[in-house]
Amino acid sequence: MMNTRSLRFRITAWYAGLLAGTLIVFGASVYLGLERYLDWTLQRTLVAECRTISTELLSQLPAKDTAWLETEINEAYAPEVNGLFIRVVHQNKGVVYLSGAPKDGTFDPWRIPFPSDKEMDGSRKLQFESGNRLLINSMTLTTPDGNRFTVESGAPYHQIEVVLHGLLLTLAIYMPFVVSLAVAGGYWLMRRSLQPVDEITKRAEGITSTNLSERLPVIRSGDELERLSMSLNRMIERLDNAFEHINRFSADASHELRTPLTILQLELEGIAQNHRRDAALGDQIGSALEETHRMSRIVESLLTISRLDVGEVKMDKSRLDLGELAVSTAGEMKLLAEEKSIGLRIHAEAGVQVVGDRIRLQQVIVNLIDNSIKYTQVSGMIEVRVGREGNIAVLAVSDNGLGIPAHALPHVFERFYRADKARSRASGGAGLGLSIVKAICAAHNGEIKVSSQEGRGSSFRVELPLLPLFANDGASAALREI
Amino acid sequence: MDVAADGKSGLDLATTYHYDLVILDLMLPILDGGQVLRRLRTENVQVPVLILTARDAVADKVGNFEAGADDYLTKPFAFAELLVRVKALLRRGPVSRSSVVRVADLELDRLAQQVRRAGKRIDLTAKEFSLLEYLMSNAGRVLSRTMIIEHVWDHSFDGITNIVDVYVRHLRSKVDDAFDPKLIRTVRGVGYSIGHGAQP
Repeated sequence: MMNTRSLRFRITAWYAGLLAGTLIVFGASVYLGLERYLDWTLQRTLVAECRTISTELLSQLPAKDTAWLETEINEAYAPEVNGLFIRVVHQNKGVVYLSGAPKDGTFDPWRIPFPSDKEMDGSRKLQFESGNRLLINSMTLTTPDGNRFTVESGAPYHQIEVVLHGLLLTLAIYMPFVVSLAVAGGYWLMRRSLQPVDEITKRAEGITSTNLSERLPVIRSGDELERLSMSLNRMIERLDNAFEHINRFSADASHELRTPLTILQLELEGIAQNHRRDAALGDQIGSALEETHRMSRIVESLLTISRLDVGEVKMDKSRLDLGELAVSTAGEMKLLAEEKSIGLRIHAEAGVQVVGDRIRLQQVIVNLIDNSIKYTQVSGMIEVRVGREGNIAVLAVSDNGLGIPAHALPHVFERFYRADKARSRASGGAGLGLSIVKAICAAHNGEIKVSSQEGRGSSFRVELPLLPLFANDGASAALREI
Repeated sequence: MDVAADGKSGLDLATTYHYDLVILDLMLPILDGGQVLRRLRTENVQVPVLILTARDAVADKVGNFEAGADDYLTKPFAFAELLVRVKALLRRGPVSRSSVVRVADLELDRLAQQVRRAGKRIDLTAKEFSLLEYLMSNAGRVLSRTMIIEHVWDHSFDGITNIVDVYVRHLRSKVDDAFDPKLIRTVRGVGYSIGHGAQP
C-alpha cells in the first residue's frame, strides 16, 4: 500500500501531472498546427492545379476541342485514381470537363453543386453523408479571346485526416508510456535524493543521552540537506551542553553539600557522645543524625553518578576475574540474604576476565544483590551467574521476588526513580543504587539490561567487554579449579 | 603544638614527645606521609593520626586506614571540617594497638585470631572478627556505620544501610547473649560502641 501523503508520492504525482499537462498541450498544438499546415498545403496544391489547368490548357482551347482537354487533364492528374475532383465550366457552353467518380467512391462528381458567387475565386468545404469531406478551390478565368471559364479543383480531406489520425494515435499510445516512464524515473530519483535524509534519520535515531557527543554525517551538498544535517548537529550539541550542564550542576551541588554535611554530622556525633546520659536528647540527636547520614549517602551517590556521567572519575582499571569478584562479593552478602531466609546461589564460569575498576565493579554486584534482597520476599531465591557469551562477559542477578511493573521498567535506572514509593522508602533506598550501576557499566563500555515480570521476579544483566583468554590463562583457570 | 616541615623531623617529634593528635600530610619531603604513619605504628606510637591528601581514590583511602590512620581528609577541604574532625579525634582518646585487647571479661588476641569471653573460646567468622577487633580497638568510642564499613568492608558496601546492623546482631548473639553485662551498645543515629558501661 503506497503512502499517498508521503513527500515522494506527492512530488511524483505533481511531476507526472505537470508532465502529462505539458504533453497534452504540446500534442494539441502539434495536432492543430499540422492540421492547419496540411490544410494550407492542400489548398495551395488545388490553387496550383487550377492555375495550371487555366494557363496551360484552357488558353489553348480555342484551338483544341474538349476531348483534347479531357485527355490532357486525365493524363496529367488521373483524377479517378487520385480521388480528385476537377470541373471546368464555360460560361455559355456549360460543363466542358468533369472528372470521373473516384475509384474509392468517396464522392459523386455529378452531385457537386456549383459554387455560388461568394465562393468564386476561393475555397469551400463540402461534407458528404458518408462523413467524407471535400476541399474545393475554384477560380475564374477569362481567356484573351473572351471566353470565361470556371475551374474547380478538389481533393478529399480524407488524406489529411489519415495523417492526423495517425498522429493522434501515436500521441495516445506514446504519451501514457512517456508519462509512466517519467513517473517511475521520478519516483526513483526522489527516492535517491531522499536517501541522505533516510541516513540522517537512522543516525539521529541512534543518538541517546549516552552518546550525545556523536554527530550526524554532514552531507556536503550546499543545499537544504546540508543545512538540515548541520542544524540537527547544532541541536544535538545544544542538548549535549544541556545534559553536561545538568551533570555538572549535580556534581558541583553535591560536592558543595558534602563539607557542611560532614561538619554537621561530626558536630552532632560530638553532642551525642557528650550527652550520653540524657536519653531524650540522645534520641533527638540520634534521629537528626540518622537523617544526616541518609542525606550524606544521597549526596555521595549523586556525586558519584554525576562524576561518572561527566567522565571525571578516574578509574583504577586493571585486569580482573569477574567470576572471582562475584563469588567473594556474594559471600559477603550471604548473611544479609540469610536474614530474610533468602537463598543466594552463585554460579561462576572460570576465567571470565574483564578490564575494570575492582571497587566499582564490586559496587555493581553489591548494589544488584542488595536490590534483589530488598525486593524479594522471605524464603525467596537469588541467583548470581557469571559467564561469557561470544565476546562479552555477562553478570546476571536474578530473583523470584516482587518484580517490576511493566510501566516502571524503562525508568528503573533513572535517578531517584522508585516503582513503589512507599515500599522503597521503608527499605532505606533513595533510588540511586541502580543509577550508579548504570553509570559504572557505561564507564566500563558495558551495558545493563533488565527484564521482569511483576510477581514473578526480576533479572538484571550486566554485559562487559570480555578480555580474550591467552594460552597461559587456560592453565591458570584450570589451576583454580583444582 | 609543633610543626614539622618534612617527614623525618615530624617522625622524630612524634616518637620523642607525647602528642594528643598528629595531622599528617601525605606529600612530604624526605619521608612521605605513608612511611611516617607506618613507622609510627611499628614503633607502637598510638597517637591518633589525621591524614591530609589530595588523592581521594578509594584504594588509597583503604590502604591508609589499614596502615593505622584514624581519619582522612581530602584536599581541598573547609577549615571548619578540619576543626570538627580534630575535635572528634580528640574526643576518642588514644587507641590501643597491642596484640591482645580486653574489654571487661572479653579478650581478643590479634595474633592468634582468637576471642574468649569469661575464659570461654568463641568462634567468629573472619568478618565478625574484624568487626569486633575494630570495636574493641576503639573501646568506649562510638563508631558510626560509615566508619565501620570503611574499616571492615570495602567502600563498595557503603550504600547498604543494614549490613553493619546484621553483622553486629550476629556478633552480639555470640559475644553478648549468653553473658552479662552486655558489652555492645547501640547509639541511635550514630552507630555502635563497645565498653564497660554498656546499657542493655
